[in-house]
Amino acid sequence: MILKADWIAALLAVAVLAAIPLVFRSSYIIGIMTVALCYGMWAASWDFMSGLTGRENFGHSLFIGAGAYTAGFLNVNFGFNPWWSLLAAPFVAVLFSLLMGFPTLRLRGPYFALAMLSASAVMQNLTIIFSTYTGGQDGLNGLFPILDSTLAYYYLTLGILVASAALLKFIANSSWGLILRAIRGDEATCQAAGINVTFYKIASLMISAAIAGLGGALYAHYQLQVGPDLFTVVLSINIIIMVYVGGMGSIYGPIGGALFLNVLTETLRGLSEFRLWVYTVVLVFILFFLPQGAIAPLWRRIRVAFR
Amino acid sequence: MNALLQVTGLNKRFGGLHAVKEVSFALQPGSITGVLGPNGAGKTTMFNLLTGFIRPDAGTVLFDGQSLTGLAPHQIVNRGLARTFQLARPFAGMTVTENIEVACLAPRVRQSGKPRERVRALLDQVGLGGQAEFEVDVLPYGDLRRLEIARALATKPKLLLLDEPFAGLGAAEVGPLSDLIRRLHKSEGLTIFLIEHKLREFMQLVQEIIAMDFGEIIALGTPTEIVQHPRVIEAYLGTAQNDVSLDPGAGLA
Amino acid sequence: MLQILIYGAVISSIYALLAVGFTLIFGVARILNLAHGSFYALGAYGVYTLTANLHLPLWLAAIISVLLVAALGVLIERVLVRPLRRSMLAVLLITLAVALMIEQVLLLIFGSEARNVPSLVDVTYHLFGVDISGQRLLALGGGIVVLIGLWAFLQFTRLGTAILAVSQDAEAAQYMGIPSDRMYSIVMGVSAGMAAVAGVLVAPFQTVIPSMGLLPLVKAFAIVVVGGLGSIAGSIVGALLLGYSETIIAFKISIEWSQIVSVAAVLITLILRPAGFFGKRAAF
Repeated sequence: MILKADWIAALLAVAVLAAIPLVFRSSYIIGIMTVALCYGMWAASWDFMSGLTGRENFGHSLFIGAGAYTAGFLNVNFGFNPWWSLLAAPFVAVLFSLLMGFPTLRLRGPYFALAMLSASAVMQNLTIIFSTYTGGQDGLNGLFPILDSTLAYYYLTLGILVASAALLKFIANSSWGLILRAIRGDEATCQAAGINVTFYKIASLMISAAIAGLGGALYAHYQLQVGPDLFTVVLSINIIIMVYVGGMGSIYGPIGGALFLNVLTETLRGLSEFRLWVYTVVLVFILFFLPQGAIAPLWRRIRVAFR
Repeated sequence: MNALLQVTGLNKRFGGLHAVKEVSFALQPGSITGVLGPNGAGKTTMFNLLTGFIRPDAGTVLFDGQSLTGLAPHQIVNRGLARTFQLARPFAGMTVTENIEVACLAPRVRQSGKPRERVRALLDQVGLGGQAEFEVDVLPYGDLRRLEIARALATKPKLLLLDEPFAGLGAAEVGPLSDLIRRLHKSEGLTIFLIEHKLREFMQLVQEIIAMDFGEIIALGTPTEIVQHPRVIEAYLGTAQNDVSLDPGAGLA
Repeated sequence: MLQILIYGAVISSIYALLAVGFTLIFGVARILNLAHGSFYALGAYGVYTLTANLHLPLWLAAIISVLLVAALGVLIERVLVRPLRRSMLAVLLITLAVALMIEQVLLLIFGSEARNVPSLVDVTYHLFGVDISGQRLLALGGGIVVLIGLWAFLQFTRLGTAILAVSQDAEAAQYMGIPSDRMYSIVMGVSAGMAAVAGVLVAPFQTVIPSMGLLPLVKAFAIVVVGGLGSIAGSIVGALLLGYSETIIAFKISIEWSQIVSVAAVLITLILRPAGFFGKRAAF
């Protein structure tokens, strides 16, 4: 149920994000925030599939890398105009999701998670092995930026994030989302209710992959390079931690979690060794004291007050 | 009149265990039939085979003249065959209404717009109208049973399979549920097929009984015939003499 | 060819130690311990500190290191894992947090340059025309001894039987009077200890750096999935398979291709036979 308070909060959040580069006139900060927005897309897309259905996917980086490398190939190897990356990346990511989704979604809980994890690890190894096409460990360099100004690119990324989040939230609030939550509740009962569970699982994985891949392409055209580190397990786990902090199943919470953790780790960049410590401490804290996450539960408390 | 459900030569093995052995029977439309048998007789396995949750090794199942072999569970539901589970597992974390809404999204019954009225009507029918907005996690067991039935009814089935609907219910809850089943049978014209252990209620509900033991059908008949059937008595009580009466007429006041 | 045979055996032995420990804690307590590689690393660093800084004899340092790591395993289970037991994801994340912490601590104390641990056996043997260091042979032998010891422990002692009971059905075991919670702690200790033994045995010839536990974790994990989560026999067979295929591929094709074997094996196993080739059930 969407309250007026939700609309206001969403508009406020977007306004704040839009205002940040105007307040902090530093390309360093704009850069950090652009990356944070990409993480927001990855976190929101993960939440849409795994947060709603409860079928945790430990290999989300598979889709991110697929999208990023698509951008890399098209732009560097084939010289396509960078705008094509944004169109092609989601498609390629969806192909990967179909390829991996069919054999793995029938697996029970943790097995699905592990299968996706190993899929991304296999891709990571393959990109290193076939270094002639992919640039190996060094990856592909020299992507062209989509827009010349980092400020404009920030707004493009923000726009795409907002559109993606809106789409995901719209689907999540529809009967589609109801079915996904029912799948989380009990798959057998869902089948007995006449619902084609496999279809919904695969379809939502595809949607999740498309958004993640799109984010991957946006990231690639910001960093202007892609490497095998985009297929790592570390990236997948980081995203899951962001979702955890934000609150699973809310779509907006994970975006908040992504922004928070990105800003946090950047602020602590000065204390190089301690950065990872703080990250870990935040994780432990959330696990023990705020297992429902911080952002979404907090907002749920606040919005009730405005009824 | 053509049988609504025609089962021929149903077989299923699990490793060395022959769980369902050459099971054949037919259900007439509008009938209410029961399956009787000791634990491990293969009753729930048979239900799982009929509803597509398990694949049979051999045999055919014809529902309304069409074969159900190889269909996925949701497809079978959309043909008009619904079931409840022995252990009711509702959609946790959602409300009673939402649980039924999901079933209303099945292709067989899906309409545009929110199915609020349909859900309301279904909940009232099973007696859960007052708990519509409750989270299912707080419902007592008896209500979860009703929810299961409402969920199955939501898909507008022609045949309803009930797997031990009275299991775990207290004495006070059994009567109302029994009445509900009778009402559904009469008013909806539903064909009902149920497994149950609570013999007294069972005998008073069903018209025909299929008795099973060790995966096989050992007897077919009316309640009166079945209680006198030597193989049934042997399966349940052994060959020694007993003083528990299976006579449906002998009401235990 | 003989080189492959012997080197493959050494690697398989170490992998087996790691995999069996990993599968043990999973099979018994359902804990996917991402800190398993850290115990391996701590075993190696423990030996280093005890010999280099405290000047203890190598054999004594090895024993103490293993015992300390085992104790740490028990501590982690009781304090950090037990309260989160309800959610597998939470347990996974907490073990991940532990792994990160340990790596950071090691980085802080020892820095990122590789440390040198002296060999217990300094001789290079010449077996069947192949040069192989005595330490590697010790690693092979040590691994086999520990695995046999574990098997004997599980088969012939009361505690061992209790552990097997818990792995089959924790609730039923509790009804029998076996304190499942305490079993989990003990098994975690054993598992950590075995990882530490592996670390101790390889320390003289492997690069001792704070991140040394990551790859072994991946390998152990891959072996356990292929062999079947919770199956000790499966882990040993899996260890042999992985150890040898990696060695063969590394010798014949390239090191990079050998690294993909483990993750590809996981993916293929999960798709074809999720329970693993020796696993008993596909569900948790």
